[in-house]
Amino acid sequence: MRRVFITGVGVVSSIGLGRKAFFDGLARGASGISPVESFDAAPLGRQFAGEIKDFRAEDHLTVAEQRRVGRCSAMSLAAMRMALGDAGMATDELRGPRTSVVVGTTMGEADVIADLDHAWIAGGVRAMRRAMLPKYGSTLLPIHLARAGGAQGMVLTMPAACAAGNYAIGFAADLIRSGRADVVIAGAAEILQELQFSGFVRLAAMAPQRCQPFDLNRQGLILGEGAGVLVLESEDHAVRRNATAQAEVGGYGLTCDGYHITRPHPDAAGSVAAMRLALEHSGIGADMVDFVNAHGTGTRANDLAEAKAMHDIFGDRRVPISSVKSMIGHCMGAASALEAISCVMTLETGLLPPTIAFETPDPECDVDVVANVARRVKADVVLNNSAAFGGYNAVACFAKPGVLPHPATLKRAAA
Amino acid sequence: MQPRVVTGLGICSAIGVGREAFFRALEKPTLLRDLPRQPVESFDASKYPDAAVAEVRDFDAAKYLGDKGLRTLDRLTKLLVVATRLGAVDAGLKKDGTFVAPASSERVGVVCSNAYGSLEAITELDRVAKLEDARYINPAKFPNTVANSASGYASIWEEMRALNVAVSDGNCGALDAVACADVHFGSGRADALLVGGAEAASEALFVAFHRLGMLEAGAALGEGAAMLALETRELARRRGARALAEVVGFGTAFDAPENENQMIFASTDAMSRAIRACLDDAAMRPDEIDLVASGVSGLKPFDSAELGGIRAVLGDGACIAAPKSLLGETLGAGGAMSLACVVGWIQGVAPAAILAGEPRDRIRTAIVTSMGYYGNASAVLVRAPT
Repeated sequence: MRRVFITGVGVVSSIGLGRKAFFDGLARGASGISPVESFDAAPLGRQFAGEIKDFRAEDHLTVAEQRRVGRCSAMSLAAMRMALGDAGMATDELRGPRTSVVVGTTMGEADVIADLDHAWIAGGVRAMRRAMLPKYGSTLLPIHLARAGGAQGMVLTMPAACAAGNYAIGFAADLIRSGRADVVIAGAAEILQELQFSGFVRLAAMAPQRCQPFDLNRQGLILGEGAGVLVLESEDHAVRRNATAQAEVGGYGLTCDGYHITRPHPDAAGSVAAMRLALEHSGIGADMVDFVNAHGTGTRANDLAEAKAMHDIFGDRRVPISSVKSMIGHCMGAASALEAISCVMTLETGLLPPTIAFETPDPECDVDVVANVARRVKADVVLNNSAAFGGYNAVACFAKPGVLPHPATLKRAAA
Repeated sequence: MQPRVVTGLGICSAIGVGREAFFRALEKPTLLRDLPRQPVESFDASKYPDAAVAEVRDFDAAKYLGDKGLRTLDRLTKLLVVATRLGAVDAGLKKDGTFVAPASSERVGVVCSNAYGSLEAITELDRVAKLEDARYINPAKFPNTVANSASGYASIWEEMRALNVAVSDGNCGALDAVACADVHFGSGRADALLVGGAEAASEALFVAFHRLGMLEAGAALGEGAAMLALETRELARRRGARALAEVVGFGTAFDAPENENQMIFASTDAMSRAIRACLDDAAMRPDEIDLVASGVSGLKPFDSAELGGIRAVLGDGACIAAPKSLLGETLGAGGAMSLACVVGWIQGVAPAAILAGEPRDRIRTAIVTSMGYYGNASAVLVRAPT
């Protein structure tokens, strides 16, 4: 059992590309929400999303890579290169079977399947471009990253919908802790695509213009897109190459509501259990937690369940909570990876990202929301909440390096 | 990895639904190429008169799940939920719809591989959006477009709440699911997990394989779901569960093609590295392996790379079976289908679909191999229960 450190982060988001731009945006409460340009959303009655306008694949990918990938993989590759740069790691240091890649997503290369489908509908089977077919499949995300990074260990996609980032980071840490890998490129990516956008409109879950988690007048979620990639390393590997540990990956909790495919269980039992498990697997009590990065989608069902979970875990102690989704929208599969990177910022700087567009507290959500302006606190330990279609709950714990008990000292019901 | 006990098998396959029917069919195997072509049931194939798919024929989910709540589920979900239910019952984890103590809803979970998601749902909603109006897409069917939907439904229907993990690694996913399960057992997250994979036949999948020339090149498209009930030795002993086999080793490897522009890649090196890692993980030697259940599917470059990788580690005399010649290419479910065959062979069913070498009289150890289309390969080692 070894400690697992985050030694690099890479970001493609609607409030900026790369660590610095992303952190600056979070700190000043920037909004990445804008009218959708990549497809005509107007007939759906909703037009806003956290769409990324300034990402150009050619700035980050080789010509051959640009030919091979869809937009989702392109953003992942760019985020990986930024993360490796941030970690001060050359591709040669990654090469080999002890490096793995684990990527979360909801739909993966959704633009590829959409293009194929639209060609098929319009022109029949022959209209589907043959060269396009092998580009589809969520399987491909880690394959492209492994190729670019030289990883030769496990290449795994974790399609855990809107909790996929925490799933991927948690499992990547497991691979390192259990000795199956020394370095894991872990993260998640998602693109904004017409079908998903329409689906959320049809579920009556989408707000017209703003995402307002925990606000009495919330109107639902706003979709977003992006990629967040982290370099995870075993402590000894990081020490050997003199890398800076930006944060430690603690334990994480997974549960499944087994209740409804899209709605959280109103008693929040699954998310409470996932938060408890994250603490237990980190070897700490709730009293150690300084901040909770909310799942915070801006739907009433989520807000009520999450507020209830906060009370069940922390009792009367008002632990600050905030939702990055108010700034960049709900980036679905990528959400909890981008939010994990936001947690790294909080641990490095003590800065809690604000929940913007917060106007009227909801008396039914009696939680300490970091309203509109970033707040500076002592932040040694943070939790990153996420939940997803399928009744998934995934909560990850991140901490300043060395604060958590060493994983080898933890007693687990291991078998 | 620590040995994990296989105590049950739930399966919806081209040769049978349920463990007993599956083993019976495995006793009297017929290669797909020797079967007369049957009309396609899972989608409207009237435009493709030559279409042949190794389907789960006459599949009626209502027979296993009742009539209620099936209307908005796609075929992928139905196959998986039925396999999960049958696996839990076969293992004695559940009886009459409830968990049998000491097994409990909070300590049993699902780890499921799937390669391509519900193409049925995605293409259906795309059609509605393009040919009618995006405002008419059925919101109850929208969640099916999400890649972990079927897996999530398995937990909802079967009340398996410990955890639900969906994985995707193409043809290797179902073997990777075993490694995921081992990790989660190791950190005490569950006592028992239903582990395997599912893939459903659909017009889109058929058309894609057809357009890529894979069917013409020798692959037989299949479908199905296979879920093994895996548990810790501790729980199996506590419940006095019947052990069908043990999973004792896992290995995986990735190898990138040299040519920057190449996508599809069959890697002998990845295959042999995965098998070596798998043997190391189980602390076993090549000469201790009785049989290999390969992923050989009829696609020549992949078959020869896989066989080369197997022989590089286990020698030219290795006994190699090709379960896909009976069950078809089931992609994300493929490794789990092979695991199901191996469990049958360890249980005394005579090995079938032998491609090379002579099977030993009694199969006590077997390696299951899977090869992805992009340079990925995985292997799992199974042995008779101790």
